[in-house]
Amino acid sequence: MDIKELDTSVENTWCPGCGNFAILTAVKKAMVKLEEKGINKNNIVISSGIGCHAKIFDYLNLSGVYSLHGRDIATIQGIKIGNPDLKVITFSGDGNGMGEGLAHTMFAAKRNMDMTMILHHNDVYALTTGQFTPLTEKGWKGPSTPRGSFEEPFNPLLLMIVAGATFLARCYSGEITHLTDIIIQAVEHKGFSFIEVIQPAVSYHSWAEYKDKIEFLDKEPSNLEEAILSIRNNHKFTLGVFYRNIEKHVYHEQLYGDHNPITKKSLREKRIKKIEEIINRI
Amino acid sequence: MVKDVFTFIVGGKAGEGTKKAGSVVAQIFIEKGLQVFEMEDYMSLIRGGHNFSVVSTANRWISSHYMKANLVVNSDKRSYENHKNELADNGVIIYNSDEMEGEKGIGIPFFSMAKKYKFGKLMFGVGAVAILAAYINYTKEKLNNIIKREYSKGEEDNISYASEVYDFFSSQFETKFTLENGDKKRPILTGNQAISFGAIAGGLDTYYGYPMTPASSILHTLAENASEFGLAVVHPESEIAAINMAIGASFTGAKSVVGTSGGGFALMVEGYSLAGITEAPVLVILSMRPGPATGVPTYTEQADLEFALVAGHGDFLRIVASPSTIHDAFFLTAEMLDLVWKFQTPGILLTEKHLSESFMTVELNIENAKWAESKLFKGKENYKRYLYTDDGVSPLLFPPSNQIIKWSSYEHDENGYTTENADEIKKMHDKRHKKVESIEEYLKKNINTVNIFGKEGPLIFTYGSTTMSVLEALYYGDIKARVIQPIYLNPFPIWEIKKFQDTSIIVVEMSKSGQFANLLKGKAGLRVEKLINKYDGRPFDPIELSIKLKEVF
Repeated sequence: MDIKELDTSVENTWCPGCGNFAILTAVKKAMVKLEEKGINKNNIVISSGIGCHAKIFDYLNLSGVYSLHGRDIATIQGIKIGNPDLKVITFSGDGNGMGEGLAHTMFAAKRNMDMTMILHHNDVYALTTGQFTPLTEKGWKGPSTPRGSFEEPFNPLLLMIVAGATFLARCYSGEITHLTDIIIQAVEHKGFSFIEVIQPAVSYHSWAEYKDKIEFLDKEPSNLEEAILSIRNNHKFTLGVFYRNIEKHVYHEQLYGDHNPITKKSLREKRIKKIEEIINRI
Repeated sequence: MVKDVFTFIVGGKAGEGTKKAGSVVAQIFIEKGLQVFEMEDYMSLIRGGHNFSVVSTANRWISSHYMKANLVVNSDKRSYENHKNELADNGVIIYNSDEMEGEKGIGIPFFSMAKKYKFGKLMFGVGAVAILAAYINYTKEKLNNIIKREYSKGEEDNISYASEVYDFFSSQFETKFTLENGDKKRPILTGNQAISFGAIAGGLDTYYGYPMTPASSILHTLAENASEFGLAVVHPESEIAAINMAIGASFTGAKSVVGTSGGGFALMVEGYSLAGITEAPVLVILSMRPGPATGVPTYTEQADLEFALVAGHGDFLRIVASPSTIHDAFFLTAEMLDLVWKFQTPGILLTEKHLSESFMTVELNIENAKWAESKLFKGKENYKRYLYTDDGVSPLLFPPSNQIIKWSSYEHDENGYTTENADEIKKMHDKRHKKVESIEEYLKKNINTVNIFGKEGPLIFTYGSTTMSVLEALYYGDIKARVIQPIYLNPFPIWEIKKFQDTSIIVVEMSKSGQFANLLKGKAGLRVEKLINKYDGRPFDPIELSIKLKEVF
């Protein structure tokens, strides 16, 4: 597949230099490589919430649902339940996935829903003019916190590992090759994959704030306990895969086995006959 | 006896098996070929309180329970006090002589007789069934068969206990009551069972529900039958998740339904609006209980009508319809599932606790259920999700596909891409609004939108399960009237209703402010002369309602 097939004609309105461009590029590159590996783009369905991150929906020539703020995580799960043959990815921002939609994010992890969630972590509500987010360091002076925010931020990876995610990684917009590779691994992983992508919103933060702090994990932790320690003990600019578990059952298989309600739908005549039997038994 | 009706009430604390006893007694009536209406009155608790089942039966179609009973069996004083003045002529009340001294009626030592059995006091329900059997001269042999079939645990103990109670009661009370046999055995369903099976018959693929009385038993019924029909039945983290999952599933072509009550639907409203703009077919089952807020969880009301009609921000087509009987609930659910798919918009099947959780014998010709179908894309050209069409309905295409399918919560162009262009905003609004005209045309031509009962007499307007109360009250009071029951509340079938504009009408409903009456005045310009409304959580009793109707005629 030519990477240009993933372009759309929609005008891109991200700020010049925004970290989101790198995520868009990495996703496209990952799609091309995934197709080489046998995962066709026709089988991929995306969703996004609302916020700067979500504009990626219009910029990617992939099918899906441009959902509500925080609800994309529920929408994408509905898509997977509707047709489990599809590969599903949702894009989220700080407020979207860690604020308004936090319950959906936690429960998607709890269920080990077979999906990928890409969190565009930029520490700011950019589209609504710069308020603090659930992930912003204490002290942020935005229009809703003129005296400086006084809440401690969440650590998304720590939340997700406790909730039950089975693939956890942190990436950075400035490391596109790494990000591309991780997206491929996340989509291929059977279960709930969560990628936190640190991404400067250039109207509020500069690349320089991040550049020197970025480090890579020395070694991928080999079990849950090590992973939790590693997430806790490494600083929040540490990149890499923190956790991977392929043992845990995924939601749709527990729900259906290998059934698919769309492709193996039970026919009308059969339903009518069975309903008659059941009602007469009641 | 209330005319041709026989009524049995069993009351006691939660956990004593009164509900089960009610349903087993209903089975006895069914075995006799009679028709049954059974209402459950229970409190929002697990143990204690006062719960009772009212089972009314007749050798004809019966559409309400009667509070005046021929036989009342109580396990405790509270239940006895509640029902002692509610007896039909020659009615008999039974009290538990282990718990109290009754000023009238017959005392049975239910608990001390049960002492020697493993389940002890919990066997009260079996005892109540035995009393009914003895009272109507139902043979022990037949009683034993029913007990074996209906109670899964402690078969021998149950039969032995039932036999003792049967004999004890017979020794105290010799006048046997003759309950004639009816014409044939019919199945008995709750409204929620009818809704659940109606949805399956209509093509349901995935259901999402967060538990909330009185809708929870839809979730339970569907969950129990999910494997049999290959359905997904999901209990997610919230009602918000439920409706958004349903929209996601619709995107794949899965026929999706969510079910809840008023408070849960309040949480779904954001998603309901999303379904409006994405043109996602989603059916909501909204079963009303008294509000506002938590209100009275296990009782009935019709005060979410106005909420249902306008829920969701922005302009979009909302289909709202309400079934009158358990029979109709089955078919209307399938029909609504078809309609939301035909017009790609969300809809509400509006019902009440009184329909959801009451039982009624039914004769269903299941074959007649609608099967949800939609306009599908079959072209070779580039697919446009929101293609402008004459009827406002754009063809659907589902993934996986080599075409791009974009649904969007932003205002969008035909391809589903975000737009803020003035011309495109207006055009897309116009496209969606065309569906309002299209569905009205469709309903006019194809769908029974209003039920009319009776040929002469004053006009009574009612809707939902209150229709059943009205019909039974008219039968009981031998009152001649015409009953007009709009099934569709939005779009409102003005084409059927306008012929009544010159006559003054009586409205019967279950809301304080007269929400249905206001709808009739506002939408159809009807002249409401008298509103008979009830809002104490309890459904109308046919005797009480017939007196009220006679007062206004």
